[in-house]
Parts: sequence; structure tokens; C-alpha cells
Amino acid sequence: MPDQTAGGAVTMRLGLLRLTDAAPVALAATSGLFSEEGVTVALSVEPSWANVADKLAFGLLDGAVMLPPLALAMELGLRPAAARILVPMSLSLNGNSVVLKEELAAHVLQGGARPPALEAGRRLARLLRGERRRPRLAVVHAFSTHDLLLRYWLAASGIDPDEAIEMTVVPPADMPEALAAGRIDGFCAGAPWGAVAARNAAGRAVVLSSGIWRNHPEKCLAVRADWAERHPCALRAVLRALLRAGPACDDPARSASLAALLAEPGWVGVPADLVAASLTGGAGGDVDRSLFAAHAAAFPWRSHARWFAEQMARWRSLPAEAASRAERAYRPDLYAEAARDLGLPVPGADRKTEGGHDAPWSLTTDSAPLSMLPDVFCDGARFGS
Amino acid sequence: MRCDAAWLLLSRQAARVAVSELKVLLVDTEPERARILEAHLASAGATVTVRLRPGEQLPEAVAREAPDVIIVDMARPDRDWLDDIRRATHRDPRPVAMFVDVDDPAFMEAAIEAGVSSYTVVGTAMPDVKPVMRAAVAIFRRYRQVELELQRAESSLRERLLLDRAKSFLMKHRRMTEPEAHRWLRRQAMERSRRVADIAAELLRDAGEEEARKNA
Repeated sequence: MPDQTAGGAVTMRLGLLRLTDAAPVALAATSGLFSEEGVTVALSVEPSWANVADKLAFGLLDGAVMLPPLALAMELGLRPAAARILVPMSLSLNGNSVVLKEELAAHVLQGGARPPALEAGRRLARLLRGERRRPRLAVVHAFSTHDLLLRYWLAASGIDPDEAIEMTVVPPADMPEALAAGRIDGFCAGAPWGAVAARNAAGRAVVLSSGIWRNHPEKCLAVRADWAERHPCALRAVLRALLRAGPACDDPARSASLAALLAEPGWVGVPADLVAASLTGGAGGDVDRSLFAAHAAAFPWRSHARWFAEQMARWRSLPAEAASRAERAYRPDLYAEAARDLGLPVPGADRKTEGGHDAPWSLTTDSAPLSMLPDVFCDGARFGS
Repeated sequence: MRCDAAWLLLSRQAARVAVSELKVLLVDTEPERARILEAHLASAGATVTVRLRPGEQLPEAVAREAPDVIIVDMARPDRDWLDDIRRATHRDPRPVAMFVDVDDPAFMEAAIEAGVSSYTVVGTAMPDVKPVMRAAVAIFRRYRQVELELQRAESSLRERLLLDRAKSFLMKHRRMTEPEAHRWLRRQAMERSRRVADIAAELLRDAGEEEARKNA
């Protein structure tokens, strides 16, 4: 059924978690960008990814700030509550840290600056050879960017994550306390929780996620396919509002005010300086920085979807054709419509060679070329070339 | 006939064994709601209910108790740990899978709206699990209604006066603290499926009658 209302009377129920990279949604909501674009968005801050997925699956949410692997797991039916999901835009690049407890971190860092990711991994591998007990490392969800990046890094360093590591799941906000209490030996989580652990002296970041895959995709916008089909104009309005919010989130001059907004109890609710550390221009903090808009950060590259699906298939059984189904769930065509409404350039291709760029490069678009950032992997691998 | 009777007896025994073996791990941030649900399940006689020990983490409790069914308050962030069939299987030979009533999305929606989710061991007979889950959804839903009523009562002047008077009566004559009085009213409303304001009015009316009797 076509969208008769041009978005005005339609409300999108949008779920999210208390994380720094919810910034574009938070900003679009608080600065009135959604209503300027003619759509109502009702935000629902959820305590767990499982809640987001369940509510999305049973229609209590229409969309969510989502982990791309979880969105794809729902679409592929890997999680019991399956649902048709589409991904019309990415929301952020980078932003996670691998934090190890102090005694492991001291060995990996060896009193110096943080080494390249692969060197850090090899030092950890040497240390683990002498250990009887497998270290317990936590990620935020079984279907997460964190899980796939951590496994990629461990495997590239010669550590089999299924054999040499006990992988577990801990909510991001509980990571610092679980590390301090000795329930886990390390974790991979998004901002600001790595910075919180460092402040508590529970552990230190030994690898940043951008060191595993430079400028990797992190969160995406996941939307129920049936909702998107019923309300194309409202969806387009939501995308426009988020595309407009992105550059402000990248703006160093606005990091302090953005951090103050996110630090409020209803949002992330931790000290603003820890939130600011993961934003561009934020001072201090030994954590990865998120990128929201510049260098086509919000473009839903089908090569990203394929990489996620192929990595998921590496560690668990996946249905045949999972990678091509994942690619189809990513919808650069919907991004293109909203971007053109705003006069923003649209990449001339839906895929790029992931890992194929070790220096800034130039991307052909429908208007002026766009400057792009490197996308190399810690082990130099290339995907999709 | 004898054959039928024996079969009936056997199937009853089998049913009783299967039912009595159902162990429910109840993980709820609201101790009072958990108590009510536990009492309800116990009175139905179908289950053994276990809870987290103080300070215990969810993975430890699952490993210790090896429950057949896990009922989880959706407000708990550690639910994400349960969201992975494969890892739970790896840790514990009893496979844990999410219980989703795929044939009954309206029921699932009601459960999510009430704020409760459940996980069950693969192979646990669905007829055994269904009543447990229905009871959980009913009690979570009622709890939420009572919470909303309490909020509304706080904002309506007349009802707030009634609540305040009922609370001060409980504090004075039953030596409760303010939070205890609050909980008492809420529990009465939940257990008797009545509005909180009605419970407060009834309490004050009964107290008034008693006072009148004493004075007579």
C-alpha cells in the first residue's frame, strides 16, 4: 500500500541502546530534525540487544539502531524470532576497543605505546601458550560486530577463538565491573565502556577496532521490511534527518555539547568526558573514535553486508546463499533517494574492495568525487576483489 | 477396559513425572513480582521454581540449576547472554533455545509487552511449558497495570490523598515503613486483581468501621 500521508501522520518506533554511537539518532530527536523532515519518531531506549531484536521481530518496534550481524541474523533466520529486515543506511564507523585485564594488558603493551593490532595479538598468543586456563573474553552479543572483529583479530594472530578462548556475552555497561571483579579477563565493547574500565584501572585497551579493520562499519539502521514497504515516504524522511544529523556528530566543535547531551541519565548516563573521548575532537581517552557521516560513512555498502555474512559463516553454520541474501538486505537504493533529496553525493557503486585501500582514496559519485578513508585489515587481507 | 484403565493410569503417572520435573529458573528484578509468580506456580503444583542467589550471575545460576525453563524479566540487560543457543550448548550439554511461540505471535507480543521473555530446553514438551509462560505473562501484565495505576494515582489529587491516608494508616497501625506500605497496597491490588485506589478505600473503610465498633 503506498504511503498516502507523506510521512506526516506516521510514527516510527525506533529502538536503541545506551551507547555513544546512538549520537545521530539522539541529535536528530533532540534538535527537531525528524519533525523538520515531516516524520514522528518515538524513541525506545532498551536494556539489551535481545529486547531490540524481539520487539523488532514482533512488531513492537519499526526500526532500531542495530548491530549489523544481529540484523542479518534476524533476516537469515539464525535467531528464533526471525523477521524480514532491511538496512537502508549505516550509522557509524569504528568505535570499539579490546580491553584486557591489567596483567594481560601489561604483557601485550610491554610498557610501551600500543603496538599494531597484529603484533599485539602475537604477543597475546605467546603469553597464552604458557597458560593452562583459557582466558574468558566477553562481547556484547553473539551476533555483534564486536564478536566478528575480535574473532578476526584473534584468528589472524594465531589464536583459535573457539579453542584457546572462552567467549562469553556480557552487557556493555556491565563490562568494566565484570572485568574488575575477575569474572572476565577482557572484552570488546563500544564507547564509552572501554574508557570507563580504564578509568577504574580494571584494564587497558590493547587494540582498537579500527586497528583490526580500518574504518569498519559499526552500527546500522535496521527497519522492518513490511514497515518500509508501507511507509516509504516516512522512511525517506527518517533517513534525511539522520543524514543531516551525521555531520554535526563528526564536528569537533560540537563534541562537548554532544557529549553533554549523551551523558544525560536518559541516554548513556556516564561522565561527559568519557563519552567525548570517543567523539571526533573529544580530548583524552585511549579509545577508538566513531565516525558518522564524512567519507560516505553512512552508505550501506553491500560489500560490508557480504563481509559480515562471510565472517558469520566462518564461525557458525549458515544457510546457503547467506551472503547474497545479506547483500540484498542492504539497500543503497533507499539511501540514494534520501541523499539526493538533500543534494548529497551518492557513490557510483554498491560495493568496494574491502581491505583494498591502505591510504585515502577518491570515490566516483553521481556528482563530485568523494574523499574516502583506508579500509585495510590488520592482516592485509582483501575481500571482494 | 482393563487395558484402557492401565493406560490411563500410566499416562497420568507419565504426565505427573514429566510435569513435576519441570524446573523453572525465575530471573526477575522485582522480588515481589517473582514471589507472586513463584507462589502461583507452586500452587499449580506443576513446577519447581529456583531463583538467582544474592550476587549470583545468570550464567552461574544456569550452570548450577540446569533449568528446563528460564523466565526472564526483559528489563535485565544480561538477557543477551541467553540469546545464543550455540554458546549455551557449548558450556552446558543441555541445549538452551529461545522459546518462541511461532504459531502464536499474538501471545509472544503480549509477553513482550508485559516485559517477560522465556527460554527453554529443546525437547521440553511444549504443553508443560505453555501454562508456566501463560502464568508469567498474566502476572507480569497485572504488575505493569498496577504500576501504571500507582503512577496515575500519584498524579490525581483525589487518589493520591486516598493513597497517602492508606499508607499513613498502615505505617501507624501496622508499623510499616513507607515503602512497605507502598508494596503492601501494590501486592493486594495484584493478588486480588483490584485497583490500588479501591484497595486503599477499602482499607480505610474497614478501619473506620472497626473504629466505630470500638467506640460503640
